[in-house]
Amino acid sequence: MLLNYVVLESNNKKEQELVSKAKQRDKNALSQLVSLYSKRIYHLGLRLTGNEQDAEDILQETFLIMLKKINQFRGKSTFYTWLYRIAVNIGLSKIQSKKMKYHHFSIDDLDIEKIHSEHIHEWPKLDFKNVSTKHFKKKLDDALEELPEIYRTVFILRDLHELSTEETSKILQITSSNTKIRLMRARNFLKEKLENLVKTEGLI
Amino acid sequence: MSGNKELFKKVCDFLGCDLNSPPCQEIKEHLKKCHNCEIFVDKIKKTVEIYKKVDECDSLPENVSKKLYAILNLKNPDESITNTN
Repeated sequence: MLLNYVVLESNNKKEQELVSKAKQRDKNALSQLVSLYSKRIYHLGLRLTGNEQDAEDILQETFLIMLKKINQFRGKSTFYTWLYRIAVNIGLSKIQSKKMKYHHFSIDDLDIEKIHSEHIHEWPKLDFKNVSTKHFKKKLDDALEELPEIYRTVFILRDLHELSTEETSKILQITSSNTKIRLMRARNFLKEKLENLVKTEGLI
Repeated sequence: MSGNKELFKKVCDFLGCDLNSPPCQEIKEHLKKCHNCEIFVDKIKKTVEIYKKVDECDSLPENVSKKLYAILNLKNPDESITNTN
């Protein structure tokens, strides 16, 4: 735990130094920042839009904005929160302009009383060999794309990119409790989809 | 019943938080006693675990990376490391 904290602190310090140099147009520092975050931003775009070309556009636009506006970064949040916010905004406007997979339905809250009254079966032990197949991955991607964007974005940021509730709330400009509610609904929606896969395909 | 509703609300809240953090004592005790809730929480955890596991396989395609650095007019620092080695 202490080691993690030390590593995190050291990474933050390294990042701050890079940002400071990048603000002075140091090309090496700018390259290092791109290298640090390009994979994550591409992945974020891919998950948000489900489309490789759009993910590439988001990646390029995000870093072009970074080059242009890095001097406007005041350090009120971490640098990556600032960068993620740019990428998420580009991604969301892309989704809205193209009306891509833009589902408007809302997801109901969990009915815990119902959970208590049903007979629930356990899932068998996980076998990651089975879940890493192309076929299964496609099914998971499809389920994620079916999620309405307001829930999908929270799931991607919180669970796939492991951002905190506070960071996610800042990026999406919503309250912490809203982030938690959306995450709970997203997780439950995907669990239901996975439940169906278990039943119909016996994949796990 | 109102006590139950309060507890159910706490279970829902927990499912929107960091699942690796220990839940509060009240939820812990409920999960020990309530098999259905225990399985339900476990399935939610497994769902997140599966998505994370499958997600790790994705990487940044080389051509996408090359185009990015070209557009930004920057050198890929990872390529310089590979070249000097």
